[in-house]
Amino acid sequence: MATAELSVKLQSSSGSRVKDFLNANMINILAVFLFLLLAFFLLYPIIAVLIKSFRGPSGFTLEYYRSFFSKNYYYQSLYNTLLLGAINTIVCLVIGFCLAYITTRGPWILRKPLKIISLVPLIAPPYLFALSLIILFGRNGLVTRMFDLHWELYGFGGVVISQTLAFIPLAFIMIESTLMSLNPNLEESAYDMGASEATILRTITIPLMAPGLLKAALLIFVMTIAEFGNAAILGGRTPFLAPDTYTMITGESDFNMGSVLSVILIAPCIIIFLIHNYLLEGKKFTTIGGKPVASEPRKITPLIKVPFVIITTAAAGAILVCFAVVVAASFYKILGVTHKAVLSNYLDFTSNQAIYNSIRVSLVAAVIGAVIGVLLAYVIVRGKFFGRTFIEMVSLSGFALPGTVLGIGYLLAFSAPPLKLTGGIMILALNCVFRFLAVGVEAGISKLHQIHIEIEEASSDLGASFLTTFYRIVLPIMFPAFIAGFIYTFMTAIVSLSAVVFLVSPGFQLAAVTIFDAAVYGEIGVASATTVKLVFIVMICMMILNYITKKTRLGSGMIKSAAV
Amino acid sequence: MDMNATEKPMLILKDIHKFYGKNEVIKGVSLEVRRGELVTFVGPSGCGKTTLLRLIGGFTDISSGDIILDGQRINDLPPNLRDTRICFQNYALFPHMTVAENVGYGLKINKWPKDKINARVKELLEMVELEAFGDRMIDKLSGGQQQRVAFARALSLEPKVLLLDEPLSNLDANLRLVMREEIRKLQERLHITTVFVTHDQFEAMAISDRLVVMKDGLIEQVGTPIEIYERPANEFIAAFVGYVNFMDGRIASIDEKTRTMVVDTQYGKFEINLEQEDIRNGDEVLMVVRPESVSLSLDCGGNRQNVLCGTLKTYMYAGSLAKCTVMVGDKKMIIDQYNPRDAVHFKHAEKVEVEIPRSVHLLKKKK
Repeated sequence: MATAELSVKLQSSSGSRVKDFLNANMINILAVFLFLLLAFFLLYPIIAVLIKSFRGPSGFTLEYYRSFFSKNYYYQSLYNTLLLGAINTIVCLVIGFCLAYITTRGPWILRKPLKIISLVPLIAPPYLFALSLIILFGRNGLVTRMFDLHWELYGFGGVVISQTLAFIPLAFIMIESTLMSLNPNLEESAYDMGASEATILRTITIPLMAPGLLKAALLIFVMTIAEFGNAAILGGRTPFLAPDTYTMITGESDFNMGSVLSVILIAPCIIIFLIHNYLLEGKKFTTIGGKPVASEPRKITPLIKVPFVIITTAAAGAILVCFAVVVAASFYKILGVTHKAVLSNYLDFTSNQAIYNSIRVSLVAAVIGAVIGVLLAYVIVRGKFFGRTFIEMVSLSGFALPGTVLGIGYLLAFSAPPLKLTGGIMILALNCVFRFLAVGVEAGISKLHQIHIEIEEASSDLGASFLTTFYRIVLPIMFPAFIAGFIYTFMTAIVSLSAVVFLVSPGFQLAAVTIFDAAVYGEIGVASATTVKLVFIVMICMMILNYITKKTRLGSGMIKSAAV
Repeated sequence: MDMNATEKPMLILKDIHKFYGKNEVIKGVSLEVRRGELVTFVGPSGCGKTTLLRLIGGFTDISSGDIILDGQRINDLPPNLRDTRICFQNYALFPHMTVAENVGYGLKINKWPKDKINARVKELLEMVELEAFGDRMIDKLSGGQQQRVAFARALSLEPKVLLLDEPLSNLDANLRLVMREEIRKLQERLHITTVFVTHDQFEAMAISDRLVVMKDGLIEQVGTPIEIYERPANEFIAAFVGYVNFMDGRIASIDEKTRTMVVDTQYGKFEINLEQEDIRNGDEVLMVVRPESVSLSLDCGGNRQNVLCGTLKTYMYAGSLAKCTVMVGDKKMIIDQYNPRDAVHFKHAEKVEVEIPRSVHLLKKKK
């Protein structure tokens, strides 16, 4: 009797010991699981690319790299890419600065409209601008025919222009937030001491913004050299690294060279982020003054005001025109050539099939992305284990990586067993999940930082287990972050091109790839109509996201990082 | 004072109005600031005091009215062309410059030669006792030191009017008292016309020649600290500059010969010195009884003039004073007893005598 009782006691205590162990280590178990996912779907593909670039038929070789650096063509490609990045960065910074200056310091009537227009490109895939440039200035373009011009849009110039327009919002958002965080009293003090507008800019505003400007410059540079669509559509015979990678894989099936090009494309990104971290270490002037404030409009001298207003309205006008022509072009077989408005572009079966596929892929990606994002955020913020920052870094890194690299990586990693995913919807969805994980994670982190750990501790104190606490307390609080991550992943996935272009199979087209192909083959009508549909979908997503952000005070940082 | 009065005022505000859209934040303000005077705008938050300061500095345009600085109309001059200098609440020191560069910024902008800049900066830093800190970066300074740098910077070009926007609000309590004295001493020494903005009425009274009490975009009263405290123009001001026990009453009689009057209240009749010319027999008035003007004693027997009998509800001894609450009938009175030597006895007292001074200020009630 007594022994039986004892054994029952023992049993129950050993049972509860397992439970206690699970309870205490749940967060670590979760972390391990998430890390494995990251390792498998993010690190492994990148490593696969790296290995491929070094492995010839007979083992380790530097042959492919030698070939890259000895052939003039590749050198030219690298040169073009870096030059494009440099020009783009400078132009975007100048325009972005003018825009941000006017929207934060300028007359009230200009602030709102300029701000809205400069953010408009966010709802469009970046390659919309390539498309609209073709419609306007292509061989059959509106402007080209109207003035009977003989110019060549396809080439370096065209890519620079479309890229610049596409990256204005990024520059604007980053510079605006730097300007907003600048205490307006600083400029007013200088003004009060007798400084003119130009002197204030030179001695106060720009020096104080330097870290912010540098950060914006580096990010724009990285994003712009990695951008695939515009260069691929408008590059013509001018080589750029990202589209060359694509041709290397799809055209010549040369995975080794494709990998080399990818590695070369990653290199500047890594270098720049190292520079970034090194340069910005401890340099944060702009945080002085605390919360963002809107400055009262100053009497800006015409010397500054006139050029600023010209630059900003020109940029804003260009953005609007680009959108308008794409919408217009969507109703004609070829705008400017045929004069009958048609709906056939919208009814195009392949296009709609592709849109349907895109929605499916993006939905799957959004669900998985939002779940992983929230869990990762939780682990990163609340976990106390070694390597937390490493997990954070990895989960945010998908964002900074050129899409083409992750595209090839997935091809290399998942086209053969043990995990053969190619040809299906999952490879596309997973690719999007891990590329765009950053925003979901960021949203989760910022939400979690708003709630004190004491809330969870209170729950545990009242006797709830880890799972109960997570389910009852953490999840409800994180829900807005989950939704934000969901919508963000959805709308980014649906327009993304650079990675999925490697992964689509002939039977399963995606909208972005359809637009890309149509633009390349000159089917402007279909390309435009498909783009308009995408813009429409993204617009709705933005609106929902905006609503949620306002409703739940997720912080404007969310929308901003979503934009980035 | 008389000499100043004959002089031209340094700063004149004439019927200033300021609208933000349809919202009128300054509703017609007129004021003259004398040379070398320290005038303080004081009032609850949102009363328009900071806006008014920014209007004077030129950071915001006035909607109507005139601003005249030393005889010159400066309405349309931007801040960089106005001979006023502002010190912001957050000091707005340039974080990318050293202390000396901050102080010398205005001199450099105004194209002073290098050696003159250096000499002037040295002089200014000595003035604010920071001569050893010229090469420091701003973030290596304490709050009080930053405040001094901001002050030195504002004074660098010897402005006609110095504008100080809540300069002490970011300092801790002790330092605030020290800096307040220093600012006042320097201001008097340099004889610089100064407009000071604060929401702290005690700070305002301690530092100013005159106070401008504001509320809802209007000036409620202008006067010396004594005038404002002792003879407030209305209930709002009376309550704003310190605690008041208000007592309703009516003028029962006025005796011009003895310069006294009798105020009839529901607690009894009080004899009050006749100091206000606008009081008439039969006027409804509000007695402004300051907590520290009332004297408290223990026995409650006699029936003396101006003395009320009350029940001591709370007696909180705090060293230099005791804060007491006394119920007189249904009236709760707050009384500050300074130098409370008899605390031991009051601690357990129930009945106390409350003596209302004869110098009580009366507010005429509007009919």
